Amino acid sequence: MDRDQWLAERTFHHSNFWDMKWLVEEKERQGLKISLCLPSYNEEATIGKEIVILKSELKDRYPLIDEIAVIDSGSSDQTREIAASFGADVYLAEEHLRETGDHRGKGENLWKALYLLSGDIIVYVDSDINNIHPRFVYGLIGPLIRDPEVCYVKAFYDRPLAFSQGVRPTGGGRVTEILVRPLFSLFYPDLTAIIQPLSGEYAGRREILEQIPFPVGYGVETAMLIDIYEKLGLGAFAQTDLDSRVHRNQETIALGRMAFGILRTLFHRLSRQQRSQFAEELPQIMRQHNCVDGEFELVEYLIEEFERPPIVEIESYVDKFKSQQQQQTA
Amino acid sequence: MSEVLDAIDSVSDLPERLAPLREEILANLVMLAQIPAPTGREQERVEYVLNRFVESGLPEAGADEAGNAVGFLPGQTGARTIMLVAHLDSIISHRVDHNVTVEANRILGPGVSDNALGAAVVSIIPACLEQLGIQLNSNLSLIGSVSSLERGNHGGMKFHLSHTQRPVDFGICVEGVQLGRLNYFSIGTLRGDISCDVKPIQSRSFGSESAIVVLNHIVNQMLQIETPQRPFTKISIGKFHSGMSYDVEPDHAELGFEVNSHSDRMIVQIQQRLENIVAEMSARHAVDASIDCFFRRDAGGIPFSHPLVKSVISVMSELGIEPDQGHSPSELSEFIGRGIPAVTLGITQGEKNKKKPDHVLIDPMLRGVAQLIGVILAIDAGVCDGP
Repeated sequence: MDRDQWLAERTFHHSNFWDMKWLVEEKERQGLKISLCLPSYNEEATIGKEIVILKSELKDRYPLIDEIAVIDSGSSDQTREIAASFGADVYLAEEHLRETGDHRGKGENLWKALYLLSGDIIVYVDSDINNIHPRFVYGLIGPLIRDPEVCYVKAFYDRPLAFSQGVRPTGGGRVTEILVRPLFSLFYPDLTAIIQPLSGEYAGRREILEQIPFPVGYGVETAMLIDIYEKLGLGAFAQTDLDSRVHRNQETIALGRMAFGILRTLFHRLSRQQRSQFAEELPQIMRQHNCVDGEFELVEYLIEEFERPPIVEIESYVDKFKSQQQQQTA
Repeated sequence: MSEVLDAIDSVSDLPERLAPLREEILANLVMLAQIPAPTGREQERVEYVLNRFVESGLPEAGADEAGNAVGFLPGQTGARTIMLVAHLDSIISHRVDHNVTVEANRILGPGVSDNALGAAVVSIIPACLEQLGIQLNSNLSLIGSVSSLERGNHGGMKFHLSHTQRPVDFGICVEGVQLGRLNYFSIGTLRGDISCDVKPIQSRSFGSESAIVVLNHIVNQMLQIETPQRPFTKISIGKFHSGMSYDVEPDHAELGFEVNSHSDRMIVQIQQRLENIVAEMSARHAVDASIDCFFRRDAGGIPFSHPLVKSVISVMSELGIEPDQGHSPSELSEFIGRGIPAVTLGITQGEKNKKKPDHVLIDPMLRGVAQLIGVILAIDAGVCDGP
């Protein structure tokens, strides 16, 4: 499948999947179990709303989702209490898979979700969405239920900038357009067809997610795309337009640190694929300037971008899911 | 009281039996509150409510000619028709960020209490009845009304009640707050705007002044109108707009006022006084001043002794809700004016704010919904029928 064909055939709008009854029937016919993971860190302002709406619409009214779990990185606010009060399963990431060590970051939570949740399909949705709506979930599940070849679905969001003609520029955020898309154009041209490679909402089949490594920090979205592409090609992907997404905007300086993590993740893959070699180990320190009382100072940030191995290589995971499979077979 | 409770046994366990629907009620509230719906622009909320009606399996669901969301659940015998109404419009501009926040014990956001919660509850009543396994003998008519507030003047409800083909036997107006609210009479109300435009300089007579000064003279005259303690009568000036800059005398000024009275005669008298004041000031100061009384509600209601009021109090007592009686500015007057016994009830505790987002408490909501179901059951059992 070439990029143009993929773009035409595998780009959806959430309204393609408005028929929830059909989705539920088809999910049950295929014998699928679907888990929703909300990774969190100090999201008390939005987590309650997300759970109330998604649980009510997609679990209580239409049983599309079988479990909703918040995997938390140790929030110091009321995130976990609020999530539990509205019926989500709440996990503190550091309390699980202790034998694998402790790392903190969104990617860590996503990786541990594979162990903690039981779905055949895992849907990941960020916890900071102000305009949460069921489309954020069913729009991602739809292509997976509709087409067995699709293994991973990525969200994108329309950003209606001012335009006067039929051609409308569309795209991702600042890091996507300034960093990721140029890099993909250089090294992974097929992946440029993905409109928002860094969007925080995606869904995948367990059978592929368990086979790829997870950077614990900023690079997790980029790594997922490259690694799944490497294993299955562009044909395994789909993308869905979820319309607008309202969330906190990050400052440019914070995006700089994100870009650093993404670059490390990407260079790591280029080295692994022997497409680029570095004489020395890449540094883990990102330096940015601060200006205090007219004096400039360099601030160092450690961004190690540690990577979790494919979870299928973890003994506890194999024990848990092998025994489940054996029970099902029996 | 015992007659009511005999007719509707086990009201007290309704909140617990409704608990599985808690998140659905909250989700309805959040999604409705996040749709801006200033008066005249309620279409998206109407569609939302209608979708809920359709998903609940109501055999009739659609918008009437005025744009109200209308759902109809036929009863087994259709002996009575009970109408539940919640207004869908809000006083909040569509320019305001309608983001809603869900905390562990409360929900915050513009208009959550007035009246997204009322609309959320009306739209989930069919699901509540199904959850409780209740089949009513009475027909249930569910209305999400439009054009209720400000200059809307209950336009949606006026139209619907004037044109519905089915006689309505009882009305229940559902408001978000406060739980315990029990309104069964309306105070007479007149609302209007007085505007003042200064004539062009060449046509001004001696003494012509800035619009704001002339309107101030009108205010001074209004304040001299004597209002009796009995029947209770009050004149409020709630809005005053004029001027653009420090150094420019305005050529336009306007104010908004409200008159409340237990006597319709007093309201008529005050309206005449206001019209006279405006006419006199217009001539004396050589301005174009005018008065526009766009909202009028007659005083009236059902007596405290009416079986509907007694039944509501019984249901509230059974649920541990303290009744708070008073007059209602809601659609109640539209029922009362047509001789239909009606009450206004609130769903939960909370705070209605004009300048910051409202909040509503989550915990009491199920008791508020249970109270509504209890009153419907009492009406359905025939214990609310008037003499």
